[in-house]
Amino acid sequence: MSGEQKQVNRELDVRGAKCPMPIVRARQEVQRMAVGEVLRVVATDPGSVNDFKGWVQTAKNVELVKQEETIDANGQRLYIHYLRRIA
Amino acid sequence: MSATSTLEKAQLSPADLKQMLDRGESFTLLDVRNEEEFRRWQVEGRHSVTVLNIPYYQFLEAPEEAVARVPRDWPVVAICAKGGSSAWVVQEILRPRGYQAVNLEGGMEAWGKFYQPRVLPEALPAFRIWQLERPARGCLHYVVAYGPQYRRAIVIDPPRHLDAVLQLAQEHSLSITHIFDTHAHADHISGGVALAKLTGAPYYLHPYDAIHPLDVLPATIPYEMTKDGQVFTLDQDRLHVIHIPGHTLGNTALYLEGNGKRFLFSGDSIFLYSIARPDLGGRGETWAPLHYRSLFHRLLVLPDDTLVLPGHFSQPKEARSDGLYAEVLAELKRRNPDLKQRSEAEFVQYMLSSLPEFPKQYIEIKRINIGLVQPSQEYADELEFGKNVCALADAYRK
Repeated sequence: MSGEQKQVNRELDVRGAKCPMPIVRARQEVQRMAVGEVLRVVATDPGSVNDFKGWVQTAKNVELVKQEETIDANGQRLYIHYLRRIA
Repeated sequence: MSATSTLEKAQLSPADLKQMLDRGESFTLLDVRNEEEFRRWQVEGRHSVTVLNIPYYQFLEAPEEAVARVPRDWPVVAICAKGGSSAWVVQEILRPRGYQAVNLEGGMEAWGKFYQPRVLPEALPAFRIWQLERPARGCLHYVVAYGPQYRRAIVIDPPRHLDAVLQLAQEHSLSITHIFDTHAHADHISGGVALAKLTGAPYYLHPYDAIHPLDVLPATIPYEMTKDGQVFTLDQDRLHVIHIPGHTLGNTALYLEGNGKRFLFSGDSIFLYSIARPDLGGRGETWAPLHYRSLFHRLLVLPDDTLVLPGHFSQPKEARSDGLYAEVLAELKRRNPDLKQRSEAEFVQYMLSSLPEFPKQYIEIKRINIGLVQPSQEYADELEFGKNVCALADAYRK
């Protein structure tokens, strides 16, 4: 397991959810987290990549640590977003 | 009243939106997608429309600030990628604050698959020609009904979404006799092969376009070859194939004569305010001179009263007042800046200095159109994102 994965404090599975739900639910999760904690969001909506980028610029309390794309065992493309609460 | 039924009432179909745009109704088009997606592809109208991009997450984070930017003077049509976020903005943000707001059902995804058929009045009574406009992408497709009671029909450049064609065929009891692609398209996925399978009608393509120009691999699709000078008899009338290499090597235009009327299905050659680009096969410098000879020596020499029916438009305002994209050759010679008289050398130089960016997905779309790749529906949607860029760059300047 890489160092980055160890730093994840919470997981949010929004596979199959369409906009605006991935952001709505990520926002709720972040509000429950302590400052400095990291949330890993797993989404299937390709639009989530630019939406998370745009959202963190609007939201004042969260930063985007990184974004990844992978394909799961069923061939489903996954978009993974790491968010850190900063305020 | 439940939230769901109110939301249903708040939905606008793509056909409703198209009608509002064509009529020039006053409304604010509120696009709540992220800025990147908005920049790449937007809804456009023939008349000027107030378009506002406020991403939905701004309504989530700072609703009052975002709402303050939305004019209260007109109704609001909200749009997003698939219709979910815009429905949320309408329902949770705008309507509770007294806005007259409606959501575009299915968002840009539905808008991208919407086709508007229109009958070309001047083709009657020789033919009943429908131009199918795909407003989101600037594509034009054709169904030409001929023979007694217009019961037989040919289809030119059929789109991937065959329902648009099949619905017309069913409504008007058409039996499809021929299917043509004027060329192997790079900007959109053809429905030609699938339509041939469904109807049993032969699918025609020029053989030079059955080789992928960059992969240099042969087509795996079933097709019948067209050739220059070939004539198809449509009942009393005749459809001529004109080979016009330039945009592609196997590019063709279809010239239809009947009852003293002449129509040119120009595909990707002459557009109403522009011409097709010569570089999508990766050989712009080599193909530009061919393109010149095809346009100036093969097409512009046709009778001046030939009505040109192009394969694309660049902007909705190119449409006539009846919504059709069509113009006679004499007028195009006068007003189309790319058809200005130039020497071959001047023309080549002009074309090569006017090329828009080369969308990299166009290489893949061409693979799909000759059967080298079988896409999932999701992948096909992704490849068809945005407007076509088949014309020279000037066409896209507003």
